[in-house]
Amino acid sequence: MDWGRVRFFLGEVFANFTRNAAMQFTAIGTVAVTIVMLGTFLYVRDTLATFGQGILKQIEIAVYLDDNATDAQAKALAASLAADERIASARYVPKAQGLQEMRQRLGSDFDTSLLTANPLPNAYRVAVRDADDVPAVAASITALPGVAKVDYAADTVTKLLKAADVIGRVGLAMIALLVLTAAIIIANTIRLTVFARRREIAIMQLVGATNMYIRMPFIAEGIIAGVVGATVAIGILALAQTQIVPKIASTLQFVPFHVDELRLAGELLLVGAAVGLISSWFSVGRYLRA
Amino acid sequence: MIELRGVTLTYPNGTRALDDIDLEIGKADFVFLVGYSGTGKSSLLKLLYREVIPDSGEVIVDGIRVDKLRRGKIAALRRNIGVVFQDFKLLTHKTVWENVAFALQVTGARSRDVMRQVPRVLDLVGLSHKSRMLPGELSGGEQQRAAIARALVNNPKILLCDEPTGNLDPSNTTEIIELLQRINLKGTTVLVATHNQAVVDRMRRRVVRLENGRILHDDERGYYFRGLGQSPVLSG
Repeated sequence: MDWGRVRFFLGEVFANFTRNAAMQFTAIGTVAVTIVMLGTFLYVRDTLATFGQGILKQIEIAVYLDDNATDAQAKALAASLAADERIASARYVPKAQGLQEMRQRLGSDFDTSLLTANPLPNAYRVAVRDADDVPAVAASITALPGVAKVDYAADTVTKLLKAADVIGRVGLAMIALLVLTAAIIIANTIRLTVFARRREIAIMQLVGATNMYIRMPFIAEGIIAGVVGATVAIGILALAQTQIVPKIASTLQFVPFHVDELRLAGELLLVGAAVGLISSWFSVGRYLRA
Repeated sequence: MIELRGVTLTYPNGTRALDDIDLEIGKADFVFLVGYSGTGKSSLLKLLYREVIPDSGEVIVDGIRVDKLRRGKIAALRRNIGVVFQDFKLLTHKTVWENVAFALQVTGARSRDVMRQVPRVLDLVGLSHKSRMLPGELSGGEQQRAAIARALVNNPKILLCDEPTGNLDPSNTTEIIELLQRINLKGTTVLVATHNQAVVDRMRRRVVRLENGRILHDDERGYYFRGLGQSPVLSG
C-alpha cells in the first residue's frame, strides 16, 4: 500500500468537498429528504402488503356439494382438493356442522328453531396459499363433478388485489421520480465542482492523467454525498420508527407493523450510493468528452 | 521524432488554421516556430499533443500516428510530451513542489518516484530553494521555470513551448531560453513557438516561419525574418 498515493487521492476528494461546501450540503440534504420519503413509502407499502396479505389469507372459498352427489364423487373431490398445490387446506363441513356454525355466527338475529329441515348442503371450506390464485382455484373447483356451487368474496378479493397492484405501480413511479430528482441535484453539484476545478482538470489532461483517474475523485464525491444523505435519512427514519410508529400502532392495533428494518436500511444506503455513483459518473463524463 | 505530412486543419468556425503543412523535426532538435499571432503556431503544437485533430494529413510523434490515436491512448501520448504556456498554468493554491508533484501524482506515480523526480527537476530549473512557495510569491521567470519543471517531471522526449517568454521581461526571457537550451542538450526535442524576434535572431537555431497557415520558410541557423540578418534590437 502506497500511503502517499492514498493521501493524495483523499486530499483531492476533500478539496472537491470543501471547494463546494454549500452546494454539497444542498445535495446531501436533497438525498436525505428523498430517501426519507422513499423509506417512508417503502415502510408503508410493506406494512400495507403484510396487512393485505393477512386479509387475503382469511378469504376462504366455500364449495357446496350437490345433495345428490355420490360417495365416489365426494371422495374424488376430496382427493383433487388435496392434490391441488395452490390449496393450503380444505376443511370438510357436513351440513349439521354448517348449520351450527351459522347459528353461532348469526346469534339471536336468526331464529333457526323455525327450520324444519337443514337447508344447507355439505361443504368444503378451502383456504388458498396465494390470494392471487383465489379466482382461478374457484373456477377449477366449479368444474369438478359433485360440486353444486362455489362461492367466495369475489368483489373483495379482486378489489384488494387491484388496490395492491395500483399502490405498487404508483409507488414505483414515485420512487423513480424521487430518485431522478436526487440524481439531477447530485449531478449539478458535481458539475459545479468540475467547473470550479476546471484548471486542475485541464492540467491533469495536459500531463497525461487518464480520464478514469480524473473521474475518480468526483465519483468518490458523488458516492459520499449519496451515502451521507442516505445515512442522515436512515437516522431520521429510525427516530420515527421508535417515536412515532408505536403511537400509530397503538391506535391501529389491527395493522401489523412488521418491516425488516435492517434490510430496508441496507437498501436505502445502496440507493444513495448508486444515485451518487451514476449521477457523478455521467456528470464528469460529459465534461471530459466535451 | 515529429513529422507532419500534408496536414490541414480547419476550426469549426471555418477558419483555416493550417494548410498543407509538411514538417520533420529530428530527435534532440531545437526548433523555433515563428510568425505573427494567428498564423497557426499554437494550432500546430496542439496537433502534436492531440488537443485538435487535423482534417487531413498525418501527424506522427515518436512513431505514433497522433491523428488516428484512440481517445484512451491520449494520456499515454501526453506523458511523453511536456507543454509550457505563456500564462504558466500553475495551480495558485499549491506550492511549487505540489505543482510539479501534481503532474506525477495524477498519472498514478508511486510516492517513491515523486520524492525522487520532483527534486531532480526543481534542481534542473534552479528552484529547489523556492519549492515551498506559492506561485503568487514568485517572479514571472520563476513561475515559468516551475511550469517547465512540471512539464519535464514525467521525463518527456518532447518539450513544446507556446510563447514561453510572452509574459516575461528581457532578463527573464534570456534565463528561460537558456534553460530550454540546457534541456535540449540533455537530449529532449524542444519546439518553441514565439514571436520574440530578438531571441530567435540571437540563438541562430532552426527557424520555421508560418504565415497564413503555411510554412513560408524553414532555415537551419535562421533568422526571424529571412534575409534581413540579425535584427538591430539585441537587448531582448
